[in-house]
Amino acid sequence: MSGTDISLTDRIGTRHPDAGITRRHPAILPWLPGPVWLADALVTWRWPDADDFPDTTLLAILFAVTGIALLTAAATGVLTKRAPWATALGSGFGAWEIAQAKLLSLPRPFFGTPQDLLDVFITDWHRLGDSLLHSLGLLAAGYTVGSLAGIATGIGLGRSKRFRYWVHPVLRAIGPLPPVALLPLTFVLIPSSWLAGEALMALASGFPAAILTWSGIAAVDPAYYDVARTMGARERFLTLRVALPAAMPQIFVGLFMGLGASFAMLIIAEMLGVKAGLGFYMQWAQGWAAYPNMYAALIVMSLMCTGLITLLFRLRDRILVWQKDGLKW
Amino acid sequence: MVTTPATSGLSLGLSAIRHGYTLGRDFTAVIGGVTLNIAAGEFVALLGPSGCGKSTLLRLIAGLEAPHEGEILADGLPVAGPHPDRILMFQDPTLYPWRTVRQNVSLSQDISGKKDAAAVDDIISLVGLSGFERAWPHQLSGGMAQRAALARALINHPKLLLLDEPLGKLDALTRLTMQTELHRLWKERGFTAVMVTHDVEEALFLATRIVTLSARPARIVSDIQVDLPFHRHRDDPQVLQLRRDILTRLGHRDDW
Repeated sequence: MSGTDISLTDRIGTRHPDAGITRRHPAILPWLPGPVWLADALVTWRWPDADDFPDTTLLAILFAVTGIALLTAAATGVLTKRAPWATALGSGFGAWEIAQAKLLSLPRPFFGTPQDLLDVFITDWHRLGDSLLHSLGLLAAGYTVGSLAGIATGIGLGRSKRFRYWVHPVLRAIGPLPPVALLPLTFVLIPSSWLAGEALMALASGFPAAILTWSGIAAVDPAYYDVARTMGARERFLTLRVALPAAMPQIFVGLFMGLGASFAMLIIAEMLGVKAGLGFYMQWAQGWAAYPNMYAALIVMSLMCTGLITLLFRLRDRILVWQKDGLKW
Repeated sequence: MVTTPATSGLSLGLSAIRHGYTLGRDFTAVIGGVTLNIAAGEFVALLGPSGCGKSTLLRLIAGLEAPHEGEILADGLPVAGPHPDRILMFQDPTLYPWRTVRQNVSLSQDISGKKDAAAVDDIISLVGLSGFERAWPHQLSGGMAQRAALARALINHPKLLLLDEPLGKLDALTRLTMQTELHRLWKERGFTAVMVTHDVEEALFLATRIVTLSARPARIVSDIQVDLPFHRHRDDPQVLQLRRDILTRLGHRDDW
């Protein structure tokens, strides 16, 4: 064949619209964050604290090490795009250090100093780590079970009339109910608070997964089925190899929503019933007025949540490579 | 690999086919008694006004739907459902966007479970898509996508190819190339072809027989054997005469 479709070659060769853009940074910008962090170190070290705070020297050393690392990064050309952020972060830490540790301008104990926070990580990392692992375990089990069950339910709703007849009303009755509302009931019905938390998280993640899987399957072009059917495909192939991949973009929206709902459910369950995990740690810290511990737990929690969302997006990018969209997390 | 692929087509017998659809409370008759016999290896073009039920007829032959009345025989056996011997190709390429060109072409092998990488390579090069095996459908032009669809349809040597305006959405020049391609493939492989088209020239260029249908519910208006030798040129006086003749039968005598 002569290959007359000229347009194809340049379509194949098309790169992402952003790919070719290289913004030229002023050459001085990468050199900015290093000195800022070194200045933080100097201020922390030389300017006397307003009160007896722990770990001031260690904090100064950390600032200094960061500053030197940033200077090295600037020298080797690694630090380019992130220089403005590194500068902003350094300035922020410096401002916090001066405002709170040196001038004590905000009321304690609600507002801590950078060294308070550092002290929590140094003295209490073990319990924080344990809490993180516990939360992750609880989340992983509940979310995985809930999502898989949700996808399976969505497939059933999308492909089987009889399944839809029986399950749809149940889903309409239970699904929109905030899982939190079931918390008291669950803790009564299910003797293990861990299992109760799992059940609620599964519910929280399962509902959006089910609805969006169903919606994705309902939107599949019927011609896709006809193509496979003329080649002799049976129901199993049509469901697993046609409907499911076609619905995958929608399914990931459901998984994303479900993950957010599971985070909420996880923290609530840990604050109210499960006697472990980051939610419980925060509850405990608040009870003891250990505010720096609460901030530390918040930071760990934020890292956990954003880390898991990142993982989900990585998975999505892998599975949906065929999609045109350029959304990046 | 099979050394001598099944290169003969199958014969079709449609007897008194009637079909229709229920929309709300109304029943619309789409096909109003069509009897048609097609011999193995023929290339039949179905011409008719828009919405007259041509596509429905193809779906019935493919076995995607069962006719309300009448019987369809393929090689003498009643059509009871879809079969890989009878492949339907649509106006849109309907490639699966989550599969690469190669994975789309080998779809029927995934369904049957009989993998044959060499056959995939062969058909891809036959339709001129070598080098684009790993491209995603959204990266293809309309002509390329339709070639991939053609490869997907032909990979298992179907005995009957049902074409539902497969070139309808292509630009005029790509269309000419694809008509030549289609003719070559039909010649080489010897399958039976039934093609729905709106384009009288396309029918005259490709078909051994042109069947015109009435407005809905479809009935056969005329059945013309085109005995001209291939390759037929579009400005051949005989082709032009036939074209005028067919347009007249379709009720377009006063149009040009």
